[in-house]
Amino acid sequence: MGNKKNRVSRREFVKLSGIVGAFLGLGGAAGAGYFSGKSKDSYTGWGKNAYGENQFFNRKPFRVKTPTYEKVGDTRRIQYLEDIFKRNGELYRLMFPRKGEKPKWSLSQGVDDLPEPLRSYYKNHPGTLEEFKKAIKKSRIQRKNWKKYKDKYLLAYAWSAAHSSPLRGKAAFPAEPEGPPEKSDFKGITTKPYKLKSPSHGSKLMKQITHTFGATLVGITKVKSDWVYQGHLRGVGKTKFKKPAHWKYAIVVAIPHEWDSLYANPVYGTSYDAYSMLNFIAGKLEVFLKHIGYSARSHVPPTDYDLAMPPLAIDAGLGEQGRNGILITPELGANARLAAVTTDMPLEPDKPIDIGVKEFCEKCKICAEECPSGAISFEDKPPDVVRGYRRWKINQDKCFTVWNTVATSHPRGCRVCLAVCPYSRKNNWIHRAAKEIDPYDPTGTFSSAMLAMQKGFFDYPGAEAYLPPPDGSNETYGEAPDWLKTEEWFDL
Amino acid sequence: MGVFKIFAEPVFWIIMGLLYALIGYGATLWAKDLGLKMTWWKWILFWIWFLILSLSIAGGFTLIGENEMEAGLYFLGVSLFICIVLGVILWRILTVGRNIKNSPLD
Repeated sequence: MGNKKNRVSRREFVKLSGIVGAFLGLGGAAGAGYFSGKSKDSYTGWGKNAYGENQFFNRKPFRVKTPTYEKVGDTRRIQYLEDIFKRNGELYRLMFPRKGEKPKWSLSQGVDDLPEPLRSYYKNHPGTLEEFKKAIKKSRIQRKNWKKYKDKYLLAYAWSAAHSSPLRGKAAFPAEPEGPPEKSDFKGITTKPYKLKSPSHGSKLMKQITHTFGATLVGITKVKSDWVYQGHLRGVGKTKFKKPAHWKYAIVVAIPHEWDSLYANPVYGTSYDAYSMLNFIAGKLEVFLKHIGYSARSHVPPTDYDLAMPPLAIDAGLGEQGRNGILITPELGANARLAAVTTDMPLEPDKPIDIGVKEFCEKCKICAEECPSGAISFEDKPPDVVRGYRRWKINQDKCFTVWNTVATSHPRGCRVCLAVCPYSRKNNWIHRAAKEIDPYDPTGTFSSAMLAMQKGFFDYPGAEAYLPPPDGSNETYGEAPDWLKTEEWFDL
Repeated sequence: MGVFKIFAEPVFWIIMGLLYALIGYGATLWAKDLGLKMTWWKWILFWIWFLILSLSIAGGFTLIGENEMEAGLYFLGVSLFICIVLGVILWRILTVGRNIKNSPLD
């Protein structure tokens, strides 16, 4: 009798243990999930290793013959004035000339007082000169307001200044090209070109080397003339030119911004963390190529480009263009900053990919809803034809006005559209699963369900909240990391 | 991260494995005592449900770990509701043809 009782109690014990085990197992799942969310290891990039493991997405099933940008007519190259930085640079030179020279234009003057080709550009783009004037007025207010905000955002300011410092002055690396590319791109070559076993060997080698320099993503493509700026060439100045024959291939590099500061945009983030790293990566790559006998030219941020980067990166299979006009990659989302090195080294190009970014952007629109400048289109389908390609076109001028408005020391950018993009999530198991599963669903049902959760569960401050008072309240998309909060470290 | 680093340690997953073995063994005894006529596909359905429940909890806490408290709680609420609905459906399936003799529930 006693034995039977003991057997029954053992059975009951195991049954009870099973129940307790189930609760402990679920508790373990909760703990492991919490750890996964907290862990900084799920941030992709920034040199976790030097062997390209951050480029983890399997692009093979999504390779396509033609890139996902839609060619709808005759294409043409990008006139340099179509780039806002080059355009604004021209205006600044007229307004703030070198010592001893008189200003040739001021904000009180109109479009007819501008020299060519600026006059024609602004006449053909009504409203853009007024937007520039607005931006300059806003920047004056921004500088005045900075006294109010300096204490709070001091660390962010210092952090940004530290990152931008290597890009300035005569010691900046890589050095600016001097003279025509046929000379400058070959300057510093120390040997005759070593013959590769095959272009495929060349691509594999260059990708590995670029990863060792710190690149998160690397892709290779042939250089299309359409992506080469026209009217200005670095090292030469204003000139009409054909794509140099030795710009055969481009090695395209993408790296992310530091993630916690990215989420705390616009006021805590900076573009210069990624920019300075890209300058080092591309600059080193240029030196490396020249030491094995091949021509090389870096195209690096913030403005030292002779090529448009996003379409080049699309050709190189790194990602697709989003509604916000930015490259969206499977690994980094929109948090991908770009540089490239053009070379005559024989390489095997990558193929572009189609992971359904355009279809997702058609229904998402979070970046447009959150953009404090209203620069991003709300149209379902891309309505604009830009130089023969159909796409969503962002209003660069409005975007620039917000750079001059947010509570920073000077126009330091905004980056809210990078931060709020649903693709720009940490690569922990839950977001990575969504990113990996979605491209395999041709119906779009999965992405619609994910988007419904994104919009229903997550809190967004709303476009105006990112602006300083009285229009907004200096909100950030995510909370700033402790290491950028001045009040955490100093007695204020 | 402190104490949470334990979740990155192999020993944590060894313990989780042992717990799952215990859950499995306990579940077979529960099934017998409840008079459930379990087949291989019913066991698969049970484990899929338990996996969904585990992932729902892990998912909610992942979002909370990311400082997305509101999203995490919403996620937990919705996914646990779905798990309860699925659990009821699963119970109805498992109890088809149940031998209710000796069942502690009847």
